[in-house]
Amino acid sequence: MAKLLFEWNYSSYPGAKKYPHLFKPIQIGNLIIPNRIKYAATEDNLNSRDGFVTDADVAYIRERAKGVVGGICTMQGVYMDKNRQGQGYVGQAAAWDDKFVPGLKRLADAIHDERAVAGYQLMHCGRVGAVEVQYCQGPSAVPQRLRIFRPVQEMTKEDIKQCVKEHVDAARRGLEAGFDIIEISGIVGYLLSNFISSYSNRRTDEYGGDIRERMRVVVEIIQEVKKICGKDVPLGIRLCAEELLDDVRGNTSEESMMSYKIAEEAGIDYISVTAGWQESIVPVISRDVPMGSWIHLAKRAKEHVNVPIQMAYRLFRPDLPNKAIGDGHLDMWEMCRPMIADPLMPKKVLEGREEDIRHCVACNLCLARLFRDAPMTCYINPVCAHESDPRYANPEPPEEKKKVMIVGAGPAGLECAYMAARRGHEVLVYEKRTDLGGTILEASKAPYGDDELLTCIRYQSAQCEKAGVTFHMGTEVTEALIKEELPDCVVLATGPIYSKGKGAGFDRENVVDVLDVLRGKAKVGEKVVVWGNRKPGIGVALHLAKQGKKVTIVGKDKSAGFDVNPSFKWRYMIYLRQNGVMAYNDCEIEEIKEGEVLVRSYDGYRWPVRCDTVVVTEREANNSLKDVIQREGIELFVIGDALVPRNLSSAVHDGYRIGIRI
Amino acid sequence: MSFDAEKEISRLWGNLHNAQDEIGRTWHRWRQAALEIAGSNAKSLDVSLKAAEITGKEIGKSFLPRLNWLRGEEVWMMSLANGYAGQWIAQGGVVKVEKGQKPFEVFVKWERCPWPTFAKEYGVSMEEDVLCCDRILQTVLVNINVFFNVNYKIETLKAIPRGQGVCLRRLYKA
Repeated sequence: MAKLLFEWNYSSYPGAKKYPHLFKPIQIGNLIIPNRIKYAATEDNLNSRDGFVTDADVAYIRERAKGVVGGICTMQGVYMDKNRQGQGYVGQAAAWDDKFVPGLKRLADAIHDERAVAGYQLMHCGRVGAVEVQYCQGPSAVPQRLRIFRPVQEMTKEDIKQCVKEHVDAARRGLEAGFDIIEISGIVGYLLSNFISSYSNRRTDEYGGDIRERMRVVVEIIQEVKKICGKDVPLGIRLCAEELLDDVRGNTSEESMMSYKIAEEAGIDYISVTAGWQESIVPVISRDVPMGSWIHLAKRAKEHVNVPIQMAYRLFRPDLPNKAIGDGHLDMWEMCRPMIADPLMPKKVLEGREEDIRHCVACNLCLARLFRDAPMTCYINPVCAHESDPRYANPEPPEEKKKVMIVGAGPAGLECAYMAARRGHEVLVYEKRTDLGGTILEASKAPYGDDELLTCIRYQSAQCEKAGVTFHMGTEVTEALIKEELPDCVVLATGPIYSKGKGAGFDRENVVDVLDVLRGKAKVGEKVVVWGNRKPGIGVALHLAKQGKKVTIVGKDKSAGFDVNPSFKWRYMIYLRQNGVMAYNDCEIEEIKEGEVLVRSYDGYRWPVRCDTVVVTEREANNSLKDVIQREGIELFVIGDALVPRNLSSAVHDGYRIGIRI
Repeated sequence: MSFDAEKEISRLWGNLHNAQDEIGRTWHRWRQAALEIAGSNAKSLDVSLKAAEITGKEIGKSFLPRLNWLRGEEVWMMSLANGYAGQWIAQGGVVKVEKGQKPFEVFVKWERCPWPTFAKEYGVSMEEDVLCCDRILQTVLVNINVFFNVNYKIETLKAIPRGQGVCLRRLYKA
């Protein structure tokens, strides 16, 4: 008889009517899950460096458990070896000793407190591991493609036997801690995927060879862990449906599907479908990949195995998994990044509050931080990883209610506005344009998925409306207006000033502003030089190159995209090359002349670049109004690009921080 | 005959930078080779300083035909300082020479230097990087001082690898 841990009745909720397939139960092994929602295991680097669970991680997971409204909430993958070769992240939870069980129990309890199903993942990071030691382990010592990872040591048969045992011991500790589901990670470059892949497994013993032999260690682990799970605790596995390693002779699609069948034969209760490796050169989860692009992999998996199929991977909107489940292509909707950006996302879907969802913009900053030993953070969600800090998560009302004037309705101003209003201030937002969004309105016109940036503005607009923020659109703030309104506090969120270079000729008619170009107001010739090699420069360069123009970027930073996180930046570098955009980095424009600009490199070399139009994207802080406000003795905050030109994330985080502080 | 100056110069510039990168990497590859041959008892700093000494002396010898006393000691000294600067500019640095306030004193300022980046890439300590530069600069003077029968010294006042923004060296008559 199948077991149901917590009763949930969704029938009265609007989301259950709108997305009926997401809110119907499913049986996994002998466990009934009330809905089709799962927070998939995600590292967060919030635990102590020796693997003990911290308050920050418990608070982080509790929020996600709340969000799955009765579904599965999986804790991050644990490493299982005392010598820490399996540890891929400095703040990864450990389970190599019984001393870790109390901490793990705190996570399981937090998930159960929210009446969700507690998932526990075993993750030896293989060739992505050994973050604290010199060598990582793998089936074969295949050199690393990415410098960031440690050299690989080939595992002996004794190492493999020990590894199987460590999986079993760690699984037992998970069960002792009270978890309801055990999951094995075999994806993206972690140890078991290293064994499965023909790229990383060159062994000639029984653990190498054809796909069955490469799956041997996986089968041994499944069978041994299954023994201690018994009938009541389902055992799942995450496996690549497409490694996307064709360029290094990785597994074929057929081999990947064969690995699914073998896992099913070995007794697995569900499979979570993934695509790509950290070493693959194909984009998988960044926003240049359209949403829903990978559903065909789940469909393919369903055609090959009978166990339930789960998948994340660019399923950021509920309609996509709802349809996929309805069509029989998928069984459960997994989420990592959408619930990093908004831990309560599925709850809001259920409650019919989709306008309140803070959507992930698929920038991969979270991943970039993890690989650089930094705690998790989210580009778009300032509260992420601060869930345990009440000043962030539940800011108190102010001691004194103030009249707050916010100048600028871009992402910084809007974020600040709704937070301040929510806490009880009277908030007035002034915007000289007639639309909300500031420069994001233009930035979202850049190709490769940047239209998704607008989701941030939609979310903020909805929150402002609910919090009672008053808007004065089409109103430019002047000294007279400030004196007339006499606010208690002014927040300048006016965005940056676009700065011309030091060189001669920047006053010529063919020098235009990036915003005018993206709005379609500026006349742009066929040969374009973009001044500035940060994100605005890259965005407009790609926008113009897509129109068939010959574009050259000239910028002061040593490399283009200095302000773009490394997990996304490599995409832009490829797109610039693909679109024939030449970037001269570490350079200045010395002079703009008729038909050409003179570029000067940091080391003094100069050369001409043919050009009809120069597009200015370099920015500087905007200090207008600052003096007036200070003269009047009004409390002043400057946020976003007006303070220091950066990116959308900094704008949102600045806005939030000031919104909870006023 | 058509001629695309942008294409030609930028290709040359690219090649120059690749060559400069190879200079930095070659130093560290040889360092690695020397350490492996020297065995586990050898101290990496000792090995690097020995290499720096040999390098400095070789550079000093190469300066000898180019230094000219005919236009006086001040000009000679500026020419020596520019020789130092040119050596690092060829490797990708941005280096400037400024005359000091005292007689026979000149400052050489590295506003940018590629060497700390290479040191970081090869896991070499920042302090080793500074000490190697010091040793090169000082041993350049060994043969020059004897050849011209002078006694010049060079000292480090600031160093990029020490987080001081620039490398500043004072070349002076002792």
